[in-house]
Amino acid sequence: MAIRVNPGFIDDLDRFGKENIQRCYQCGDCSAVCPHADEFYRFPRKPIRLLQMGLEKKIQTILEPWLCYYCGDCSDLCPRDADPGDTMMILRRYLTSVYDWTGLSRKFYTSHWWELAAVLIIGILIALLFSVINPHGIVTSLTPEGGVKVNEMFPVETVNIGAHIMLISIAGFLISNIIRMWYFTLLRDKSLKISFMSYVTQFWKLIVHFVTQIRFNKCKGKSYWLFHWVLVSGYVLMFVLIVGKLKWFQTEKIYSWFQPQRLLGYYATFGLLIGLVFFFWGRIKKAGQKFKFSHLSDWIFIVLLLLTTLTGILVHIFRIEGMPVATYYLYIIHMAVLVPMLAVEVPFSKWSHLAYRPFAVYFSEIKKSALSKGKKDNKINT
Amino acid sequence: MPKIGVYVCWCGTNIAKVIDVEEVARFASGLPNVTRAKTYKYMCSNPGQEMIVQDIKVYNLDRVVVAACSPIMHERTFRNALKSAGLNQYLLEVANIREQCSWVHTDPVEATEKAKALVSAAVSRVGLHEPLESMSVNMTPDVLIIGGGIAGMTAALEIADAGFPVHLVEKSNQLGGNLLRIDLTAPYLYSARDLLTERLTRIKDNKQVHVYLESKLTELTGYIGNFSATIKHIDGKTITDEKAVKIDIGNVVVCTGYKEFDASRIVHYGYGKLPNVITSFELEKMIRTGRIETKEGKIPKYVAIIHCVGSRSKEFHTYCSRVCCMTALKYAHEIKSANPSCYVSDIYIDMHAFGKGHEEFYRRSSEAKTLFLMYEKNDKPVIHKASPQDDCEMFLEVNEKLSGEQIEIPADLVVLMVGMEASEDYHEIARVVNISHDKDGWFIESHPKLEPVATTTDGIFIAGTCVAPKDIPDTVAQARAAAARILARIAKGKIEVDALYSEVIEEMCSGCRFCNQLCPYSAIEFNEEEKHSHIISALCKGCGVCVAACPSSAIKGRHFTDQQILAQLEGLFYKAEAEKQDS
Repeated sequence: MAIRVNPGFIDDLDRFGKENIQRCYQCGDCSAVCPHADEFYRFPRKPIRLLQMGLEKKIQTILEPWLCYYCGDCSDLCPRDADPGDTMMILRRYLTSVYDWTGLSRKFYTSHWWELAAVLIIGILIALLFSVINPHGIVTSLTPEGGVKVNEMFPVETVNIGAHIMLISIAGFLISNIIRMWYFTLLRDKSLKISFMSYVTQFWKLIVHFVTQIRFNKCKGKSYWLFHWVLVSGYVLMFVLIVGKLKWFQTEKIYSWFQPQRLLGYYATFGLLIGLVFFFWGRIKKAGQKFKFSHLSDWIFIVLLLLTTLTGILVHIFRIEGMPVATYYLYIIHMAVLVPMLAVEVPFSKWSHLAYRPFAVYFSEIKKSALSKGKKDNKINT
Repeated sequence: MPKIGVYVCWCGTNIAKVIDVEEVARFASGLPNVTRAKTYKYMCSNPGQEMIVQDIKVYNLDRVVVAACSPIMHERTFRNALKSAGLNQYLLEVANIREQCSWVHTDPVEATEKAKALVSAAVSRVGLHEPLESMSVNMTPDVLIIGGGIAGMTAALEIADAGFPVHLVEKSNQLGGNLLRIDLTAPYLYSARDLLTERLTRIKDNKQVHVYLESKLTELTGYIGNFSATIKHIDGKTITDEKAVKIDIGNVVVCTGYKEFDASRIVHYGYGKLPNVITSFELEKMIRTGRIETKEGKIPKYVAIIHCVGSRSKEFHTYCSRVCCMTALKYAHEIKSANPSCYVSDIYIDMHAFGKGHEEFYRRSSEAKTLFLMYEKNDKPVIHKASPQDDCEMFLEVNEKLSGEQIEIPADLVVLMVGMEASEDYHEIARVVNISHDKDGWFIESHPKLEPVATTTDGIFIAGTCVAPKDIPDTVAQARAAAARILARIAKGKIEVDALYSEVIEEMCSGCRFCNQLCPYSAIEFNEEEKHSHIISALCKGCGVCVAACPSSAIKGRHFTDQQILAQLEGLFYKAEAEKQDS
């Protein structure tokens, strides 16, 4: 059965980022230079071909964009300046919106106004909420150590409930979207004969790639992987501290600096700062192919995280230094940045790749074993 | 007794690596009548030639054998050397010991033996060589040009501007040819009309150009510099004898162009049956009238362009028509600029963007979001009608090569890029002016690389798309090249004709006229009064067909006499000859 070509598809794709894929004449230089392309995943050439022809259903099944870490070698080499690397980026945005059943992802990616408004509205609501629900207002008295009584101003129990609500909803969105991703990429294609065992045997790859992102290291420019890893480790650690272990982390007692609360917090902050400065600087300077094109979603993600980190640092300093008024306002601002960042970016926008990428690696390995088995069977048959 | 010098060339290592050249020279010095036998590294070099010239002068040599490369390569060089030494140039014989010996043999002993035999053959032949003089004939300055397209008009203007009369014969009722049907040209999107108008105005104003519209060349007799042409008027399809003109001309340029492939021959594209399957020329017409629409008068939302219709296929024509790829890109541009919301699919086998500005044009078309799809040469797209709920008229089913997917492409209008074919009267033209054509009907040049506009008939030139499919710049270049060749000859006023032609020994000719039909160059005429055949030396190429065919042995091929050839054979089999004499 022939698949219908949709030449208008790229006009839609354009809304996820300006592509130049019709320049591509399929020479395949990009796939030749890509360290991740192999006989099963011939990208960027093959996905670009599907895009050119607008084979929407086929595109929904591909995992290749997630296997790309955008080193930019392909774009450097492209004889037609078709920017295959950026096309993979655009495809990741598109696929994120395909996996997302709420439709919000598509709205955020295709409309700057939607994304900005969502961040702004959630930020204002959170600021209002925190100014209203605190029972004592600004508590000016200090703890015996001379620190600010944060837990009196913003009771950790209440904040923790909010944190858990957020954790559950983010997880809910992400998990349901990953199930959709699983359906699109592995289940829908009936010709793919996947054994249950490969889900089990390949599972360790999911964990390894989530923790290390080691495939990134195959690309040229090892510093990218390193900075990215430092950023991710800081981010994940901080996420666990503030969302999962808030009661342990947000204390009035000022621990000495070698206590785990402070040590872990400092490491996470340091990791975030180092990573963010590297990526922020790279995007401003457009240093290399990787940073040549910056979509609004790329900027919002860096800017919000940087603001969250900086306000978090300030809250910490003001609390220790015993500055209750400054602590009070900075805490509210910190929350007004942090919450929309987590609520908008993690499930619906750029940050979702922290889940999709390791799952894509996992799924791609499963698919590969199914395909290579199919190949072997074919060989036996023919 | 002749005094023969034999000169064996090493050709660097080309000959000397396989053949023992010193041994060959030693052998040659022992042959009858050989006065000198020498070897040299490069005989064709100035010192090599100088050596021959000096030997001729000092030792009074009257025959020369050069054992070296093919005579095609350097026969002229050594003939000139003989000339400069004061010897008749035909007293030379070249033994080809490179292409026919050292390059094709690996055993040095056997190769040296063969080289000896070849030299022996040359030595015994050259002894019988006669001094010959080439002759010179008058050159009539008038030029006949057949075909009034861009090639014919350009050649005509080139010659007329130099001040010589031109007779431009065009079978239709206006000048311009196929270019008349075209709107813009690829890749720079110049207007075809502008290209033509300039030419037409200049032709009108130039008193040296005589235009014969609705006319045909029906007869051409004579030879280079001295042709007589009969031009007749065509009335509809029939040729009338009224207004027939006879003119004397010196040279002819054939610029009869091409015709388009008949798209209905590819039955499954449905041309002629499906109303919105059209040819590139029909689209061109729409563009010229300013409205691209379907037969129902709707603006198409999807246009599909199929390349290589009639070209690059075993069933129709194996050649590439060269202009269709760029023309298709031009259509993508024109359709997009007329209607930016229209989707254009370009379905090709390969994209041939070989010319100046073509690759850039291809890229620009890609940027205009043309969808390029590749089909397999032997797996052509299939067109079928869409159902009423689809938003298009037709679907093209293609086994898309670059993705490996079986796909359907929506289309409201399908444009078939019909290839070029030789014009319908190519056979007749070739017969009248006595030139040859290939299996596809394209006229054959005398050398595809070095003589691209000359033919094997002296004085008849070919230019433009009657030679092979080509674009406008190449066509114009060929037209100007042909004009330049002719102008050079007119400037000389006379033309040298090679002395290698055949002669009829009239007293031996029985008048059977057997040779008249056989001559591939129409060089033999029959003298009705004297009842014998006569060879027009200017037309004869010395091929020898008549010599071999003549039942009365009444024809002598100059420089290829029976005695010369027999002597050559005797020389070749010198060992057997020696054994015969021994016994």
